[in-house]
Amino acid sequence: MTAMTRTWGRLTLAGKVIFTVLPILAVLTVGLIVVIVLFGGGILDFLATNLWLVRFVVAATAVLLMSVPTAFLIIYMEMKVIALMNLRIGPDRVGPFGSLLSVVHGLKVLMKEDFSPTGVDRIVFTLAPIVVFMSTVMALLVIPFAPGLFGQDFNIGLLYFFAIGGMTVVGLLMAGWSSFNKYSLLGGLRSAAQVISYEIPLTLSVVGLLLLAGTMSLNQISLNQAGWFSDWYVFKQPLGALIFFIAATAEANRTPFDLTEADSEIVAGFATEYSGMRFGFFFFAEYVNVFVISALIVTLFFGGWNAPFPWPWPVALNLDPGSLGIGLLILVAIVPVIGTLILAAPFWLASSRVKGWQALVMGFILFNLVVVTAIFGIAYVGLDWVAGLLWFLGKTYVFVFTFVWMRGTLPRVRIDQLMGFAWKWLLPASLLNLFVTAAAIAIVNPR
Amino acid sequence: MTAPTGTRGRASSDDPRVMLDEQIGVFEPIPPYPPRTEREAEFYTLRDGEMFINIGPQHPSTHGVLRIVLKIDGENVVDLDPVLGYLHRGVEKLCENADYHQAICYLDPLEYVSSLFCEWPGVMAFEKLLDVEVPRRAEYIRVLSSELNRVASHALFMGWMALDLGGLTPILWSFIERDEIVEMLAALTGQRMLFNYFRIGGVNGDLNHEFLSRLGDWMGRATAQIESNTALLNENEIFVRRMRGLGTMDSETALRMCMSGPNLRATGVPFDLRRAHPYSVFPELEFDIPTRTEGDCLARYLVRLDEIKQSLRIIDQCLNEMPDGPVMAKLPRLLRPRPGRAYAGIEGPRGQYAAYVVSDGTDQPFRMRIHDPSYLHLQSVGLLMPGHLIADAMAVMASLDPIMGGVDK
Repeated sequence: MTAMTRTWGRLTLAGKVIFTVLPILAVLTVGLIVVIVLFGGGILDFLATNLWLVRFVVAATAVLLMSVPTAFLIIYMEMKVIALMNLRIGPDRVGPFGSLLSVVHGLKVLMKEDFSPTGVDRIVFTLAPIVVFMSTVMALLVIPFAPGLFGQDFNIGLLYFFAIGGMTVVGLLMAGWSSFNKYSLLGGLRSAAQVISYEIPLTLSVVGLLLLAGTMSLNQISLNQAGWFSDWYVFKQPLGALIFFIAATAEANRTPFDLTEADSEIVAGFATEYSGMRFGFFFFAEYVNVFVISALIVTLFFGGWNAPFPWPWPVALNLDPGSLGIGLLILVAIVPVIGTLILAAPFWLASSRVKGWQALVMGFILFNLVVVTAIFGIAYVGLDWVAGLLWFLGKTYVFVFTFVWMRGTLPRVRIDQLMGFAWKWLLPASLLNLFVTAAAIAIVNPR
Repeated sequence: MTAPTGTRGRASSDDPRVMLDEQIGVFEPIPPYPPRTEREAEFYTLRDGEMFINIGPQHPSTHGVLRIVLKIDGENVVDLDPVLGYLHRGVEKLCENADYHQAICYLDPLEYVSSLFCEWPGVMAFEKLLDVEVPRRAEYIRVLSSELNRVASHALFMGWMALDLGGLTPILWSFIERDEIVEMLAALTGQRMLFNYFRIGGVNGDLNHEFLSRLGDWMGRATAQIESNTALLNENEIFVRRMRGLGTMDSETALRMCMSGPNLRATGVPFDLRRAHPYSVFPELEFDIPTRTEGDCLARYLVRLDEIKQSLRIIDQCLNEMPDGPVMAKLPRLLRPRPGRAYAGIEGPRGQYAAYVVSDGTDQPFRMRIHDPSYLHLQSVGLLMPGHLIADAMAVMASLDPIMGGVDK
């Protein structure tokens, strides 16, 4: 016994973790294999009859897994873009051009102490970041990324989106109230006032679009905008798009409407007392929210995954590797070698100082680039979901950039100006938009 | 759970179990107990729906270690109580225990963004006591370097103003200006922030090549650069809407509240010590006194922008008319002025800096009184802030541009 204790004591921290985790993993694996061998058939039958369950679990997992790299990417983008606008360099130490800095931030936040100050309401304090994060991530479920690539195609997708988005404010209010801090309290109250006020123009601004589209399914709205870019709803609903953009900025608590975390007034608002991963959840949620809002703007008004113009030379891609026969062997074994050699030759011939292996390395890199480009090109032309995904993400990141740009440029509005703008300008404008759209539909297309 | 008050040692002031006659929450500011004046008793009594909120001493937008206890009703500021003294170092007393040369270096950190203006009144008062004639070249160098410092200070003010309103970029843009000026002053004086450059009877060193080349570089593009930096704010609808009509003060109130400098000129009083009580070589230089009549935060901001342009004019004239000659008067090693008293005041970027020195014939000042404009400007926050929102309170404070080093001395 003492020998075991001594051995255990000599282990490093990593060793302790490995020696604890590995046996558990081994036991779990064996158990899983046993379960599959014994009940595998039954489970498969059950899943085959309940495909919706599989689809839901896969979609939820994919969305959860997607949210973290998205947040990392947007955080890095924000750091770098604002740095450029501030005439700074920005992150440049971790990874190429500092691109891994946000990952390091994530790890740092994970390793920090899980701390809750004196006097907080523990349960609510712990639940608040989860509510905010989950409600943001759940909104990703209904967004159509590409033809056939979406979590769920609700026929009330847009309504679901607004309902889930409205849950964020509950989390912020929970955080503000439970933190036992007056800055947090003010931040929570501000977020409640702001988000609830801006929900109304946000929702009303898309009603005109719904009249045009005749559906609330985001997938169907994307399909309606296929064809040339003049079919996008932004050209039929310019005022609605503008109101939606402004109200969505306020909904996502982004500058110039970032009153809930106004650092020069109420230190960090609702997040003042949070640290470690609890703060990390708020942070992730904010940036995932930026992505979600941009994605929704693209889906509703900017054609979703549709390219601005139809691809003029559509190709039906039906490649069967088995039919190639000996050609497959040539493709896999000989083409890379020959391609590398051919692409290496110019480097080798160009200068006598370039050694043979250096030329080969350059040739190999170039060959890979060529192959990747070719694969992407073929996929873009042949697979509509690849093309759709590329267009969708491209458009979405244009809007993400716009949000970052606004943050780098604009100061913050005051709370009374914020509320006055919502109730005096945005709400009448969205009602006007709705009225004009309805009248136009009644005139052009009378029943 | 048993109350662990006894086991954990003394209850600190932020302990929720602190024992007072009336129970107060953890984050209520502990009032002076018992209240010392009627005003304190009235301030620390909460009516229905009001609460206290502590802004500072560690807060992103209090420009140092100012603490303001705000009494708020929702978002509205009802009343406030500034609490000073977190940066008190006893500069006046330190100066009285140093000889006349040593005292100058204690004056520097009073206003750490415009140090030359703190040295100047002290040096001038000492010179009056000693009847020293300062060489003209030294006077020109003083004017030149201090006007550069004024531009740096105003540039930083612009950035701070925007930062307190939530803009991220202008502070970094204005730091470009400030860094260039600070680097050239470092080439001249050997220090970046606390220059310690003025001496009794002159300045510490003549203009050198690096300073002049940096200055020439910068002067070529200064105007365009400052214009482009301010365009981001001046043409920004959100910024202008928030600043206009905020914290308005008329000229009579401003005079009664002992305001000076840009804050006074923003109310329409063209009072500038460089013209009103001319000192140094300012009578020979041409410049205007920019004024505004609105007296609000936007006016205070725009007056400072105009002052930058006037400062650039003065720098230009200084460079053109710089006479030759020595930069230090001939003085004995040990300074023993005649017994007497002397006063000197100058126009700084924030207002009137002044020093009042009493000498008893020894080599140390008998009494030294330093007059700093930030302290006097800060007293009008009680007039300007109540009735506004919390966000506006920050903007008002930023527009007064106090530096806590000078306030707490």
